[in-house]
Amino acid sequence: MTIQPDIEALISETRQYEFVDGLRDLQMAAMMAFFGILIWFGLTPTGMRSFVLMILYLKDTFGSWATRLISLSVYFLLLVAFLVGSFWMMRALRRKWLWRESGWVKPLRMQVPGRVNILAAAIFLSGIAVSITLLIAGKVDESFVLRMLWAATGWCFGFTLLGMGREIGLMRYVRLGAVGGIASTILLFLPLSFGQAAILLNGAWALALGITGAIALRGSSTAIRQVNHGR
Amino acid sequence: MADEFKQITNFDRLIHEPSRLAIMAVLSACENADFTFLLNATGLSKGNLSSHLSKLRDAGYVNITKGFKGNYPHTTCALTRGGRRAFDAYRKQYLALARRLKK
Repeated sequence: MTIQPDIEALISETRQYEFVDGLRDLQMAAMMAFFGILIWFGLTPTGMRSFVLMILYLKDTFGSWATRLISLSVYFLLLVAFLVGSFWMMRALRRKWLWRESGWVKPLRMQVPGRVNILAAAIFLSGIAVSITLLIAGKVDESFVLRMLWAATGWCFGFTLLGMGREIGLMRYVRLGAVGGIASTILLFLPLSFGQAAILLNGAWALALGITGAIALRGSSTAIRQVNHGR
Repeated sequence: MADEFKQITNFDRLIHEPSRLAIMAVLSACENADFTFLLNATGLSKGNLSSHLSKLRDAGYVNITKGFKGNYPHTTCALTRGGRRAFDAYRKQYLALARRLKK
């Protein structure tokens, strides 16, 4: 190599590598769908009945300490288990197929800049603060505050995706973050319960990320097939 | 113009070599990368890549870990703390010089 390499392009391509095959999009889509369904189900009569039955079973079998411990953390544990499982599946797919020829990279821990995280948190908290202020002023009812929780979550997630997309030069995240973040505002004007808003927001994001992930994965698998056939 | 030439002579010669610069750039953008990824990203031959990695390891800029994935040997490379600092310093100098030359 005698020509100076374009180091910014090399840095950008390496940081994008983790996202080029679309598996991260699909993982985020699966997480959001699972989270939305979990919240919605937990608030339905069936869900609440199942939860009470679980508590009674735990109390009879293990005693009250287990009941307190597990009932408080069951949703959190389910999410963690799903997250760990999805990362395992991603690693397996990459090891056996997607990254077998192109090589393995462990991405940087902080792909999202700190300032983006801080601003995203500020956006979320501002949304909640505005809704509580309006509630105190008598302009809105409690259901608006509950819907604002999800709308603000959508703004926060959209902003984070946009910030990350700009940082690593991935335009699909910039577009998705901007459009999805703005579209989350719709939740404020729909007559939805907390559980319904949860499933609508998470479902919409899951659909959008699922589509972008599937398109990216199709592109990656086509490229791999072309490389293999070229041998 | 004399200042710009002086700045160029102050560049870290070990990093400034094009092949090693490419290797450092790729490794700076991740926690670690394996040999195959570095081969594809830099376009170097296996021998060349090995040689440059050895030089960077001897200078304390890169850690090389050799292991196995199943029955296949697997080499992973990562920048050391010193290597990251050196590359960040190089990159700052490089970008500052590029901005100055643009003006």
